[in-house]
Amino acid sequence: MRKIALVLTMALLVSVAVFAGAQAEAQAGGAFTPSKNIDWYVTSSPGGGSDIFTRTIMDIAVAKDLLNGQNVVVQYKTDGAGEVGRLLVSQLKAGVQADHTLLTFNSGDLMPMVKNTNNRFENFQPIAHMAVDKHLIFVGEMSKYKSFEEVLAALKRGERMVLGGSKGDDIACHAALIAELGVSQDQLSYIAHDATSGAITAILGGHFDLLISKPAAASQYVEAGKITPILALSTSRFPGNLNSAPTLSEFGYKNVEVPNWRSIVAPKTMSAEAVAYWTDVFKKVSETEEWNKGYIEKQKLVPDYMDAATFTAYGMNFQKEYLASIGKDK
Amino acid sequence: MENLQMLFMGFSVVLTLENVLVTMLGAVLGLIVGAMPGIGSLAGVALLLPLTYKFNPTTAIIMLGSLYYANMYGGSFSAILLNIPGDSPAVMTALDGYPMATKRNRPGQALFTANMSSFIGGLIGMLILTFMGPLLADLGLKFGPAEMTALLLVAMTSIGWLVGESPTKGVVLTMVGILLASMGMDTLTGSPRYDFGNMYLLGGIPFTPFVIGAVGFSQVLKLMEERNKKVEAHIGQKLTIRGSMLTLHDFRRLLPPAIRSGFMGTFVGVLPGAGATTGAFLGYAAQKAFKSEEPLGSGAIEGIASCEAANNAAAAGSFAPLLALGIPGSGTGAVLLGGLMMWGLNPGPLLFSTNPDFAWGLIASLFLANLLTLVIALGIIPFLVKILTVPVKMLIPIITVVCVVGGYSTSNSMYGVIIMFLSGLFGYILDRNGYGVAPMLLAFVLAPLLESNMRKAFIISHGSLGIFFEKPIAAFLIIVLFAIILTPVIKFVLRKAGVLKK
Amino acid sequence: MQTKKITSKMVIPVVTAVIAALFIYLGITKYGFWHEVRGPLPGFFPTIIGFALLALSLLAFLGGRKEEETKYPIENWYPALGVIGIMLATLVIGMLPSLALFVILWLKVYEKYNWKTTLVGLVIIMAIVIGAFVMWLGVPFPKGLIYNLIAY
Repeated sequence: MRKIALVLTMALLVSVAVFAGAQAEAQAGGAFTPSKNIDWYVTSSPGGGSDIFTRTIMDIAVAKDLLNGQNVVVQYKTDGAGEVGRLLVSQLKAGVQADHTLLTFNSGDLMPMVKNTNNRFENFQPIAHMAVDKHLIFVGEMSKYKSFEEVLAALKRGERMVLGGSKGDDIACHAALIAELGVSQDQLSYIAHDATSGAITAILGGHFDLLISKPAAASQYVEAGKITPILALSTSRFPGNLNSAPTLSEFGYKNVEVPNWRSIVAPKTMSAEAVAYWTDVFKKVSETEEWNKGYIEKQKLVPDYMDAATFTAYGMNFQKEYLASIGKDK
Repeated sequence: MENLQMLFMGFSVVLTLENVLVTMLGAVLGLIVGAMPGIGSLAGVALLLPLTYKFNPTTAIIMLGSLYYANMYGGSFSAILLNIPGDSPAVMTALDGYPMATKRNRPGQALFTANMSSFIGGLIGMLILTFMGPLLADLGLKFGPAEMTALLLVAMTSIGWLVGESPTKGVVLTMVGILLASMGMDTLTGSPRYDFGNMYLLGGIPFTPFVIGAVGFSQVLKLMEERNKKVEAHIGQKLTIRGSMLTLHDFRRLLPPAIRSGFMGTFVGVLPGAGATTGAFLGYAAQKAFKSEEPLGSGAIEGIASCEAANNAAAAGSFAPLLALGIPGSGTGAVLLGGLMMWGLNPGPLLFSTNPDFAWGLIASLFLANLLTLVIALGIIPFLVKILTVPVKMLIPIITVVCVVGGYSTSNSMYGVIIMFLSGLFGYILDRNGYGVAPMLLAFVLAPLLESNMRKAFIISHGSLGIFFEKPIAAFLIIVLFAIILTPVIKFVLRKAGVLKK
Repeated sequence: MQTKKITSKMVIPVVTAVIAALFIYLGITKYGFWHEVRGPLPGFFPTIIGFALLALSLLAFLGGRKEEETKYPIENWYPALGVIGIMLATLVIGMLPSLALFVILWLKVYEKYNWKTTLVGLVIIMAIVIGAFVMWLGVPFPKGLIYNLIAY
């Protein structure tokens, strides 16, 4: 028995030594290159928007050999509506693992996170902001209103109406809109659906009058003439078949927009060299044809690469504004 | 008739060697994934999606379609043989499938029934899809929150039929199921509800581990009592296809429920938010209103037929809004949609005009997948039945392992295992005390749908009940609802008054 | 009145009644019941169901007093203990080894099969788990503390 105990102790000591040694090596300085598999966390189900985003970038990075021949393992951590996964990444200790860990992070993740948990943006290391998406308001074939002028007039008359959209950033957009227009929740109510497709189904069936959506989900219905954009929630009009929708400033209000951004972050403890490495990898990805034609255009997004430093400032500001809008101070 | 012509064109696209082989591959993979508890059709389709990248778009879509479809078949296997549903629609199949396999000692026939009914249901669904697809999709659109609320209320009354001998206990569990389902993120307000400060509960109680535990693991605990029973030598039970075939009489029994459920399931599949699980449940519940030779829940063929046909029909039906309107009816549909879009094919109002060969090719491939999956599934019945001859003592650790693994795989975390374990204990204790868990599981699925639709309806109507009576479909369903609730009451009163004979 | 033993048939309705009361309380105080314009709030539906559950729990309780006691054979709990063991062992040695260990211990020690049968059973189970879940579907099973210590 004692012999076994001795052997086990030796084994344990050796492994601890190796582990410590490896860690020391990682911190030895010099440029970072991946030396093992990369763990990329996605906090929503496979097949969804975040998954497609992650896999597209991953495929491009591997194809262009930006990862030093290492592979990416996509880890889905959907527990607790994604909060468990986010918390896990934010709490990773410094070391080799932290340098090889990434997390797909959208504004739609940030908002529930700060609203419902104590986790905050500063617990992560922002790496790269990749793309942005904005919203429009649409009416359906059966809607009472045909243009935003009619909507405004109806609101002034005291009529009540319902806006449908998905959960997440659409909710924040609705809140910002009614704040700017000066109407109450009760006059312009909001119905959140699990996904925009649910809201589109409902408006096609004529169950309410207004729809808020991002271009990707809505564009084919605009093509088919089933829905019409009447307001662009952005600082400028949208291109293509969405161009007919005016912005709020054309009606005399301040422009309202709550951009839905897609980005990549890492544990706070990631080393500076690794951060520099990763932000550069994603910069290269954002410049490729596959990214711009194969993903951005297809998904009707706006490409908007921000490196780690720029993104940090942007993200912190976004968080601050959002917290203020929901009445929390930090 | 133009649609029929288009369908034939679709077949010409599908019937190339490559496409047929791919359909078969998709069918086999779908069957396996579907049979495994813990990997439902959503995870199965999503995980197998990358496999399809190698092929050209049309071929890839065909494989994806047959994969999704075969998933519906596979779920019944573990439900019938082990009483562990392979996915949520199979919960109902287990209710009659498992007793038929074990108590009535007709496992081969149970599997055969399930497969035949799946085929019939799916066939009906696809025929309806072919001729009425876009029309059906438009009809589905008319079902907004108010209409869905009314429909679901009608559906909830039929849970009452499932409660068996003790209505009180059954309804108690139904309520518990509803409360459990309300834990988690409340979509309509974007805030958590009943999460008790626990981060994991923010996401609520995941359905799959819950079912695996309440039905599967509790089953393991029950099995401990039977481990010392000798496995009867099945003399005369031929473990061949011959021995598993249904008699003509059996076949006659399964047809009416299968056909009924085929129509009903297709329609349910078209409805927003309702999928194969809801379809299977409604199919089974509807069967209660009709005559079954043996009582439902004891291993009746009608029980298996009604829910299996419905769930395959619903899967076919959900393609209607997906293809015609680009609206995925469920999470799995969303993955399919994502896959389709990745190949630059945009389902939606324009699909049938811009890419007819693709759209009809897909529909034709579903027919083919239906047939191929049936053949394969029937072929492996003897092999599957052998599973039942494994001695109970061996089965117990095997099923335990499967439950743990299945519970883990849903979310890749121990949370699933813990839920599975707790619901297993819960289910076992309840079962020992005469509480059947089926109503709880179904309430768990239906209640959130009912609640969210009801709240949306009230937001639209700005708090007034009027919406339920102003909209024609909703009003009609409310009348049906009152009819169902009041009929027993009226009958009771009339009997007491001597008007009606007892 | 004869004092009856407290049977589980009586405990269950008490538990459900407590759950009901909890949901009602939180429903009304924390989540809100009804709003003039917005209609039902998050607490509405659960609270109503809670009240129904409370009433029915009472009925079930009264009914339960008349029924006979439920028996809980002690062996039936063994698989549950096994799962607890698996969960704990997973933390240290990872899930797959824990499952294998469970199967071996169960078949050999508890059911007293011989080594051959035990190994056959083990191989079949691990083939299913590893073949389908690990290799094909790529489910990342937890690797346990020891592996994590050694690997980095």
